[in-house]
Amino acid sequence: MANINELMDGWSYGQQTNITTPAAQTAIWRLTNLNTKPWAKVPVNEDDRAEIGKGHEFPTQLFKSHYNMPTYEISKYCSSEFLAFVMAFSLGNVTAVAGTGATPPTTYTIVPAMGATNPTGLELPYFSFVQQMRPGASAILDEILIGCAIKNWKLAIKNSPGRASATLVAECVTTGQYLTPSGITLPTGAQQLHEFNAGMVTALTINGINYLAGGSGKNFVSLDASWENNFRPGFFPGSGEQDGFQIQGRFEWGDRSFAVQFVVRVQAGSAEYGNLVNQVIGPATITFTRDANNVFTMDIQSMGFNVVELSNTDGIATMQVTGVQLYDPTNGLVTMSITTPQAGICAPPA
Amino acid sequence: MQSPQGDEIKEVPATSAALTPLMAAGWHQVPAPVKPTTTPKEAK
Repeated sequence: MANINELMDGWSYGQQTNITTPAAQTAIWRLTNLNTKPWAKVPVNEDDRAEIGKGHEFPTQLFKSHYNMPTYEISKYCSSEFLAFVMAFSLGNVTAVAGTGATPPTTYTIVPAMGATNPTGLELPYFSFVQQMRPGASAILDEILIGCAIKNWKLAIKNSPGRASATLVAECVTTGQYLTPSGITLPTGAQQLHEFNAGMVTALTINGINYLAGGSGKNFVSLDASWENNFRPGFFPGSGEQDGFQIQGRFEWGDRSFAVQFVVRVQAGSAEYGNLVNQVIGPATITFTRDANNVFTMDIQSMGFNVVELSNTDGIATMQVTGVQLYDPTNGLVTMSITTPQAGICAPPA
Repeated sequence: MQSPQGDEIKEVPATSAALTPLMAAGWHQVPAPVKPTTTPKEAK
């Protein structure tokens, strides 16, 4: 018997060499997770009930089929490190530039990879996920899941106090390949990250409306942004096996989507409705600044409004705005810029 | 940064404004090429 609080999660911030080679221990974090469940492994058996020739309709044999690995949420408060990890592994085209000084941060610039120019085609970088309970000779759980990828993420910014005002949830997939015992020794304690809260928003301009200053200042209520890679199933001839069960050998993105919704208070002359009716488009920028070494900026290159709907948020008249993010021929869809003390995020093995 | 065709490598200022249009066009980061080192002349 073990308390779920004993569960230790770790995952690689460095990318795997390929989908089947686990990341090195040196590139694995131990981090906390608001999702209290372990990542389940679901091997699936099939039987012969549909086959005739047995003399009856009942199954007589079991056959190994495949690993039907469920998706898994890594849910955390926003931090410069976790934002860099999620954006890098979910979008795919990453540059990392080391800063200067005694403890130089790294600045990551990240955009969505495009299939026509991505060196790995429709595949994103892969990472490894470690989960352990009492690792060692009498381990309850000690495994490393190999070939994990980020299927989608949800970024939520709310008008509430504390770390819960800025959260990021990444839903991950994995192939079914694993090693147990993992062979990984996680650090003694979970790494402390540099977290943000909504009070640290230092730039918030959407489609020409500045929500931090001027007439629209103090009117912003919340924002939800999400990304979906819509992976295609990864079973194919030669995709591999684990324990005799077929596993997936690739995660290729399908039709990806990027959604942004936000809520603002209504005031006389609110510009949002006019922007929708007049089909005004413009960039959107949101920046969190904790200090010079921990900054996150999401630059949406071109945004219009699809829906502006009057609503009620806790007794205040509000508008819920659904954005439509347009692909700019020069600057693309969106650029994530993250400065963080953590080097090597999404870096290939040395 | 290396072009998507792999036929060009160039050094780019490390700013989002400079990197974004290149990355949107498919350029990606590669290790900086090793610059030729010059052997210091022997002191006469």
